Amino acid sequence: MMTSKKMGIDFFSFGVKLTLGVALSLSFVSESSFANTKAPKTLTYALLTEPPNLDSSQATDSESFFIVGHTMAGLTRYDDKGNILPAVAEKWEINDKGATFYLRKDAKWSDGKPVQAQDFVFAWKRALDPKIASEYAFILYHIKNGEQINQGKLPLSQLGAVAKDPHTLVVTFEKPCGYFLGLTSFATYLPLREDFVTQKKDKYASSPENMLYNGPFKLTKWIHGASLRLEKNDKYWAQDQIQLDVIDIPYITPDANARFNLFKTQKIDLIQALSKESLANAQREKFKLKKFSDGTLFYMQFNFKKGRPTANKNLRLAIRSVINPTEFVSRVVSIPGTQVGVGLVPSWMKGNQQSFRKENPIPVPKQNLAAAKEYMAKARKELGQTTPISLVWLTGDTALAASEAEYFQNLFKTALGVDLKIDKQIFKQRLSKMRSGDFDIVSAGWGPDYADPMTFVDLFTSWNGNNHGAWFNDQYDKHVRNAMNSVDTKYRMTEMAAAEKIFMEEVPMIATYERTVMYTHSDRIEGVVRRVMGADPDFTNVRIKE
Amino acid sequence: MDSLIHAFGLLALDMEVSMQEEKERVLTTQNEFSQDLFQKQVKSVQENLIVRPSLSYWQDALRRFAANKQSLFAFYLTNILILFSFLGPFIWTRNPSHQDLNSPSMSPNMGKPAVVVDELAPVIPLFAEIPVISTTDETSDLVTEEKAIGSVQNFKVIGFPTTQNVVLGWDYVPGASGYVIYRNEVKPEDGALGIPLGDVMEGNQISFEDAQSLEARDYFYAIVPKDADGMETTHNTVLKVQVMTAISVDSAKSLGVSSEIGTHVRLSSSPLGTDSLGRDILARLMSGGKVSLFIGIFAAVLSIIFGIILGGIAGFFGGLVDDMVMRFTDLISGLPFLLCMILLKVILNVGPGESGITALLISLVILSWTGTARLVRGQILQLRNSEFIQAARMMGAKPGYLIVRHMLPNLIGVILVTLTFQIPSAIFTEAFLSFIGLGVASPATSWGSMCNEAIQSLLTRPYEFFAPAVVISLTVLSFNLLGDGLRDALDPKLRSNE
Repeated sequence: MMTSKKMGIDFFSFGVKLTLGVALSLSFVSESSFANTKAPKTLTYALLTEPPNLDSSQATDSESFFIVGHTMAGLTRYDDKGNILPAVAEKWEINDKGATFYLRKDAKWSDGKPVQAQDFVFAWKRALDPKIASEYAFILYHIKNGEQINQGKLPLSQLGAVAKDPHTLVVTFEKPCGYFLGLTSFATYLPLREDFVTQKKDKYASSPENMLYNGPFKLTKWIHGASLRLEKNDKYWAQDQIQLDVIDIPYITPDANARFNLFKTQKIDLIQALSKESLANAQREKFKLKKFSDGTLFYMQFNFKKGRPTANKNLRLAIRSVINPTEFVSRVVSIPGTQVGVGLVPSWMKGNQQSFRKENPIPVPKQNLAAAKEYMAKARKELGQTTPISLVWLTGDTALAASEAEYFQNLFKTALGVDLKIDKQIFKQRLSKMRSGDFDIVSAGWGPDYADPMTFVDLFTSWNGNNHGAWFNDQYDKHVRNAMNSVDTKYRMTEMAAAEKIFMEEVPMIATYERTVMYTHSDRIEGVVRRVMGADPDFTNVRIKE
Repeated sequence: MDSLIHAFGLLALDMEVSMQEEKERVLTTQNEFSQDLFQKQVKSVQENLIVRPSLSYWQDALRRFAANKQSLFAFYLTNILILFSFLGPFIWTRNPSHQDLNSPSMSPNMGKPAVVVDELAPVIPLFAEIPVISTTDETSDLVTEEKAIGSVQNFKVIGFPTTQNVVLGWDYVPGASGYVIYRNEVKPEDGALGIPLGDVMEGNQISFEDAQSLEARDYFYAIVPKDADGMETTHNTVLKVQVMTAISVDSAKSLGVSSEIGTHVRLSSSPLGTDSLGRDILARLMSGGKVSLFIGIFAAVLSIIFGIILGGIAGFFGGLVDDMVMRFTDLISGLPFLLCMILLKVILNVGPGESGITALLISLVILSWTGTARLVRGQILQLRNSEFIQAARMMGAKPGYLIVRHMLPNLIGVILVTLTFQIPSAIFTEAFLSFIGLGVASPATSWGSMCNEAIQSLLTRPYEFFAPAVVISLTVLSFNLLGDGLRDALDPKLRSNE
């Protein structure tokens, strides 16, 4: 049930420690591949980590989404502005009860066979199969019987998705769903071909020859932990629009300094996010910088489990009042363009007509030391004054995570007299500690899965497995359910705004910032698209300048 | 021994003198030669006498030590480092964990100028009135469309530029649909304008406020007008702005300077600069040194004591005891340090975010005594069979007396030398563990964790890294040199040079 996509500050992991050695040894591997790929139009790139899982029904993280997004095509796709465009589905009809997708006839798999409606049905059933245990199975719950199938209460055949003929896909909804179309480009909704997947069994997606592609590129080389290579897929229906022959990924390194040097020496064409430290250097090196708000909301989440001091509302209010968001964003996060986190729904999210935040304004939080002291006094009384309050702050192992933690540690100590113990953990370990509720406050981030406020709002419902702080509120749940079960956008937005209002009163988490990254790419390429959802960065339409 | 030889020498000379007098007397009594053939010899023997004060073992060692410039230098350096860490904070009284976000990431300075400012109020953007162009027919419309958009004129700073905000203003560019503002730390060249700060969406907006992570330095702002399609044009106007540190009224009060808005004040100096959270690096270096040196000295002393006891027992009693103790030593020296420390953290119930120093100390003590024990055992085995011990034993000396009176004084040299080599190795271990995040917990710091924090900005602000790195190197070097010097002084047989 864990959706770990873009969770955490881990994109900024700059550990120079041991990764340098890895990077050095990697460069040997890459030299040879460079030599014989001079002629084709090649773009080089460095991944942050090895993609953990390229099986589209099981992928959960942004590196896997990056690869899958380039090698696969779903029913629909997003354009650069977040509008939904047709992809494998040429056209569709959608209403409260369900949707019908008419698939294009020229969509083919990389082995030449056509992409058919049953491929989608098979992929969805597979993701919902309790035996597969896909962490993103819940995103298919909008399809009739999806949830029950995933829980093993109904057989797979009961799924409300049927291939009427090879080119017509009929989907029945569990409940009316206003944002279903936006989901259909998501990785879990991508097609898989039954004969191929069943033949490969556990080996599926473990190496290039054990995968099938229907997107613009295909994976031709994957040396685990070292390098990957994507080449143009000549079976892709719009392959004449793809100008790039090869996306070469000769490096995998989480080290920002290493990536900076790779770019400087023209070994890679793009740095996806410059660290705050390397920004100054990038200016000195005369890199052309670009700004991208990746839509991820970062926040501190409180633990409500029994015995945790953070279950005390006055303590949470005291913490909220003591934070100076503008100072934090400007001095600690320190990437120009970063926005102060205001509510639960980030500012870029579209609401009814314009942005959700504009339609449902929340005043920008301000530091109020006097109020903080008052709340704190109350909290101390309620918690019993005898014990000095000491909280565990669970966070990532990155430089930014560390300075954020030390900033709050100092602030809480001087202003509230609260001791903060910093528990730095690597991404995987932090997730496991979050799942087991082993924290008082956790610093985390959440990236959107689809273009609807719901992707953030349902995070704090009692049924969501990612509600790690175990904050349960009936009223909140009720409003969210109302919004989920309706297709009336206006009503849904009002309900979600009502839920957010309760959320702001109860403070189960405090939004800290909305991430913006500075990135740069070489002059020889153009047409790079940065995406909030889906494959980011998107190289599909990149042109190489001569 | 030396003094004994001297004594013998004196005795021999005395005897020679008295023999000569005797001879003289004999010659005079014989009376065969006239008296005036002879001259009385002046007693000058005393002048040739080589007298050296008797030197004890320690005096001799001290003399050797003082004669060695290298070890003297090391001795003074270690003292300076210890004084720096333990007495320094009484002179440099800045709080090492105080964060001053008004002045983060400052280069070494002796007090930078700042200006007191009011709390930030949102700046309302200015708008220009667009002259209405009468469009009577389509041709004139086309003409205005085709008219190239020029570069921005009169690009200027409104008000006083501080790290709180910089407000930029400019003249309206006819036809522009908006502007893009860039900020650069170096003079823009070849179209690399720096960080894209913001998009001004409306063509008639003529001001922009930058309040994003400003530092007290020179910036080059660039403004590019956008054409009707919202694309950036190729014209850019660059403005150099010198930004001054801004401090709030509250911080001015806490600094004890004039808190009137607009007054120019001087910030407290930070000779080694400040880190990314505005903490004074010099103060952190002192407080980190306390941790590092304490661990180094404490762990080394304890492990040496442990090593002496076990090595002494093994060497003195020999036989089965020796075998058992030495096999136990082999066993311990095979244990991996990191694993032991992590397990100890679990056993000691060190929670997340708590300092691992106790676990580190204990594991250092239990794992690093083996070398000393082996050395001491070897020495004792050698001494045990030496003549003076056997003599003492024959006279009925008990083991306790033998060890304390005869063996330990002979071991002291070896022990001191091991100690001085153990200290830097313990300091280095601590630095390494703190560097990988297993040592001290924030807000406490140590030289190793300071290095860890500073490595991120090594390329941009190397001084943050060099300060702790240099003191670690100096400490390790000086203790090693000191050990070397002590070895030369205490055990002349082991002298490395001369």
